Amino acid sequence: MGAQGKNSPASNPMQRVKVYRLNDTGKWDDRGTGHVSVDCCQGSENLGLFVIDEDDHETILMHRISPADIYRRQEETIISWLDPELSTDLALSFQEATGCSFIWDHICTVQRDLQLSNLGKVENGTHPASESLETSETSHANDEALRSVKSELRDLPSVELSTLPLILKTVVESGITDQMHVVDLVLQDQEFFPKLMELFRMCEDLEDLDGLHKIFKLVKGIILLNSTQIFEKLFGDEFIMDVIGCLEYDPEVPQVQHHRAFLKEHVVFKEAIPIKDSSVLSKIHQTYKVGYIKDVILPRVLDEATIGNLNSIIHSNNAVVVSSLKEDTVFIQELFARMKSPTTSAESKKDLILFLQEFCSLSKSMQLVQQLRLFRDLVNEGLFDIITDALQSPDKRLVLTGTDILILFLNQDPSLLRTYVLQQEGKSLFGLLVKGMIMDFGEDMHCQFLEILRILLDSYTLSGSQRDAIIDIFYDKYLDQLIDVIITSCPPKDVPRTNVKSVIWSGRTEVQAVTTPEILLNICELLCFCVVHHPTRIRYYFLRSNVIEKVLFLIRRNEKYLVVAAVRFLRNIISRNIEVNCENDEHLLRYIVMNDLMKPIIDAFISNGNRYNLLHSAVLELFEYIRKENLKSLILYIVDSFWEELTKFEHLSSIQSLKVKYDQSLEKYEVRNTVSMVDPRKRVDERDLDKEEQDYFNGDSDEEDTASARISNTHNQHRRSALPNSGSYFSPRGGLVDYDDDEDDEDYNPPSRSKQGMPTGEERLTDSPALKRRCTDNNNEELELPKKQRVDKNMIGAAASCSTLSCGDSSGKKAEAATQDTLHTAEGNNGSAEQHSVNKLDDSRDSSDCLPNAADTRQCEDLKQSSEEDCPLVPISKSTSEMAVSGTTVNGSEPYSVR
Amino acid sequence: MSSDLDRQIEQLKRCEPLKESEVKALCLKAMEILVEESNVQRVDAPVTICGDIHGQFYDMKELFKVGGDCPKTNYLFLGDFVDRGFYSVETFLLLLALKVRYPDRITLIRGNHESRQITQVYGFYDECLRKYGSVNVWRYCTDIFDYLSLSALIENRIFSVHGGLSPAITTLDQIRTIDRKQEVPHDGAMCDLLWSDPEDVVEAWGVSPRGAGYLFGGNVVTSFNHSNNIDYVCRAHQLVMEGYKWMFNNQIVTVWSAPNYCYRCGNVAAILELDENLKKVFRVFEAAPQESRGVPSKKPAPDYFL
Repeated sequence: MGAQGKNSPASNPMQRVKVYRLNDTGKWDDRGTGHVSVDCCQGSENLGLFVIDEDDHETILMHRISPADIYRRQEETIISWLDPELSTDLALSFQEATGCSFIWDHICTVQRDLQLSNLGKVENGTHPASESLETSETSHANDEALRSVKSELRDLPSVELSTLPLILKTVVESGITDQMHVVDLVLQDQEFFPKLMELFRMCEDLEDLDGLHKIFKLVKGIILLNSTQIFEKLFGDEFIMDVIGCLEYDPEVPQVQHHRAFLKEHVVFKEAIPIKDSSVLSKIHQTYKVGYIKDVILPRVLDEATIGNLNSIIHSNNAVVVSSLKEDTVFIQELFARMKSPTTSAESKKDLILFLQEFCSLSKSMQLVQQLRLFRDLVNEGLFDIITDALQSPDKRLVLTGTDILILFLNQDPSLLRTYVLQQEGKSLFGLLVKGMIMDFGEDMHCQFLEILRILLDSYTLSGSQRDAIIDIFYDKYLDQLIDVIITSCPPKDVPRTNVKSVIWSGRTEVQAVTTPEILLNICELLCFCVVHHPTRIRYYFLRSNVIEKVLFLIRRNEKYLVVAAVRFLRNIISRNIEVNCENDEHLLRYIVMNDLMKPIIDAFISNGNRYNLLHSAVLELFEYIRKENLKSLILYIVDSFWEELTKFEHLSSIQSLKVKYDQSLEKYEVRNTVSMVDPRKRVDERDLDKEEQDYFNGDSDEEDTASARISNTHNQHRRSALPNSGSYFSPRGGLVDYDDDEDDEDYNPPSRSKQGMPTGEERLTDSPALKRRCTDNNNEELELPKKQRVDKNMIGAAASCSTLSCGDSSGKKAEAATQDTLHTAEGNNGSAEQHSVNKLDDSRDSSDCLPNAADTRQCEDLKQSSEEDCPLVPISKSTSEMAVSGTTVNGSEPYSVR
Repeated sequence: MSSDLDRQIEQLKRCEPLKESEVKALCLKAMEILVEESNVQRVDAPVTICGDIHGQFYDMKELFKVGGDCPKTNYLFLGDFVDRGFYSVETFLLLLALKVRYPDRITLIRGNHESRQITQVYGFYDECLRKYGSVNVWRYCTDIFDYLSLSALIENRIFSVHGGLSPAITTLDQIRTIDRKQEVPHDGAMCDLLWSDPEDVVEAWGVSPRGAGYLFGGNVVTSFNHSNNIDYVCRAHQLVMEGYKWMFNNQIVTVWSAPNYCYRCGNVAAILELDENLKKVFRVFEAAPQESRGVPSKKPAPDYFL
């Protein structure tokens, strides 16, 4: 404690304390008043508390800080402990609460370091990376230099080469309370940064690499102090280039980086329209450089809090820039005047569009209301007209920039573009978007077109008349155009699987007759999306002029993924139609049978042979679906027409079950033919037929109604589909169908109530019952699992607390976020999700992915207790049907399209 | 073409991302290959099995140092290539390029992070936006995710999957009828395979705190292994500090290949090498040392208006 006397802190009231010691009679003796500090104990590397008498400079107290949990803080100003060496209680009573906090934090820091270094010895020094800054420094605890460092409150020495190590230590080794103090010290000293930068330039001139490395560490340490006020200074025009200069000399990177040269020589600041306000200009440059520091220079070094702070600087700069340009009416008007003017050169028009994109994209930093207002203003200025022009440009980059801007608008407020599209002029934009989707952009990505069309046609976010109008335009004007592309790109019927040569679009604007497979895939994807979103229109638009059949031409293509996409298209048609029009579905099924639409699919399946690939699985899944939904007319049609070929695959359980289902339905009809039709018998009949369905739906009357309604409909539909004039597929059994006809009206029973009960979400009918039924198939009660319900709150809580323990703040935050609603989807798959709250399907545990083991090793008692007491891992016998229903509503109400 | 591909592989090995147009071409080629794979992809021994990578590119390079380069070593990656780490783009593209170049030498199956929803929350989406200035690359990659196989079966003896078992799946043949080309659903067999976890205290099936998939106990694994005549299940999906962990009497093993997960968890990683006789060797490795990590190669936009 040699240095103690020299830097006597006598003047500092924060360190003034009275020392008390508990005597034998249980009273506190006053041992004197002095100043407290934390320092190295003599002859050891351990840190201790020292109190020096303010009058005679004698040491009143010397106490080695113990790693054990012996310290207590009372009220605001007292720290007490049972001293293990003296075996008595000691207490420090501080004059000021801040002084008490300071020492208290210090004790905590020292304790943590002691524990960490013990841990380090045991674990061979594998510290979590987030701690590395502190631990790596404290692990040099025996470093001679440290001995001179006082953890006391004093001014920073003036910045010089010789004082750099000391300043570095102070900055880098400060605890949390210290840090605030260090920040104050740095800010108080007006000369600190000017001198530091001067020193930097000097070292750079002298090529003093050692000094430059120290300066790098110091500047890095100062940035990591994460103080907004310091950032203001550091990133001001005066210093920022020097700061970036300092950061070129990372001692851990072998070669010096040339960030300044890059910024000065390679980066170009473009001005589409000159910006006059110098403060705006300065913010623009600052934003770029701060982003550069964050993303290019220090991304591995910065902790999340600092990154957050830098992001908010960038954010608020952007907001200021965008809003001040927006307020500048002259600027906006000039911008649009130039863009519209015929005399503006193509080159500068391009720049203007690129500027517009950045402008719109940065506006995300503004408050939502402001952004909406800005977008509305831009639209009123004629933005969509400008985009319409851009989309017709021969310059592909410009076209794609135009689509990027549209996506920004759609993500913000789709109704703006929708309204425009519904106006007369907008129609050409709609047309250009469709054209863009089927145009070959060569190497460039152009998936934005599909994305935009999807958002325009999204029935879940559209409302009322606008929706219907847009959808009608699409079907009336553009569906045929898309179908034509398919027709012209697929080989004629009798030449299946030939190689259709793709012709690369040659730069002209008209759509080519032959297209790339990617475009065909996008078309099929969009059509699937339409089927899912507009199921009520399937009947009108897709059954008309053989659209389905034409889409299935894709099966003739060579590319297996197109074949699979076409299969999925038909699968969506069938399932969506049933979900929405349960009383009409026989119409569609009869259509499929009449037009022999399964033939191309089954042919493809057969010729795929025994290859177990995606096509194989997709077709089997389709069969499974048909069987489980008990679509009798399709079952009869498939087995009657294709069984000869399918027998080869009889070893597959899906094919087998389809045949069994077929035989069952035949039997039933035969029984029906011999017994007179009585209503009750028929009920029994149904139950036999659909026992699984019954199992699934039992326990909930609504659902049951739905199920039986559906069942009676499938009966019904079979009857109709098999009417004598419906085609020749059922010739052997024509009679039985005639018979059914009489009964048609009696058992046709489409109560509006049950229709309401029908789910609208597609998952409901595809996955959930499938899972349920498979469970019951297994005859295993235990397998009857509850649908995923919202995760038990307690459980999440436990996961959250433990993940915080093991993985630090960020994962804690994530886990917390996951508490909200872990199985919630908003936008599903389309990339429009700029808002990241989208869904938290993950990861209460994934963030705690490290959870189980961390819990094991660290004896995470909290977790264990809470998971044992509050949320026993309940087996699963809770009311299954109830959960299934709640699962249904969740899925049903959430848009979630299959892709 | 393969020379182009070789050049791209070399570039990716230096942790330099591809151009958008190269990503597009690569994805289309990958699609053709992946569409031919089965939901339970058959894999021959010898093969080296790797767990989660999570965008930790330089640590994956350590993995290849320890396990040998592809194609000299055959690899099976159990998903979760992206999210959380700094280099999801480079990591996934390198694996995909290797897949296209050596389709029989490397098998990639899908993890729960290979999903549009999850990547929007855990980093891959933002990384694409940051590195390319648009999310087109994210769109192409997530489209490819839909084609990835769901599981693998090594020499008919070892079943490999990202998460675990599903109450809807008692035999491997039941996986056959999943049309996997879709976003990972919120429930059902496909979801469970990617999300479930084995758990000691669970009798048979339990509610998963992850909000998707299930917890499953030892009995479930015993009967699954028995009815499918397999030796053990190999999966990833959970951090294990030692890199790998056996459970339930060596009937299921977790392999984790992201050392010092999230750059802070302090764990080691492992890969499981199986020789032609399916003899097991776990190779444990640590995170790449600081100096072997290049300067993060985010290419800033060369020009700016604002």
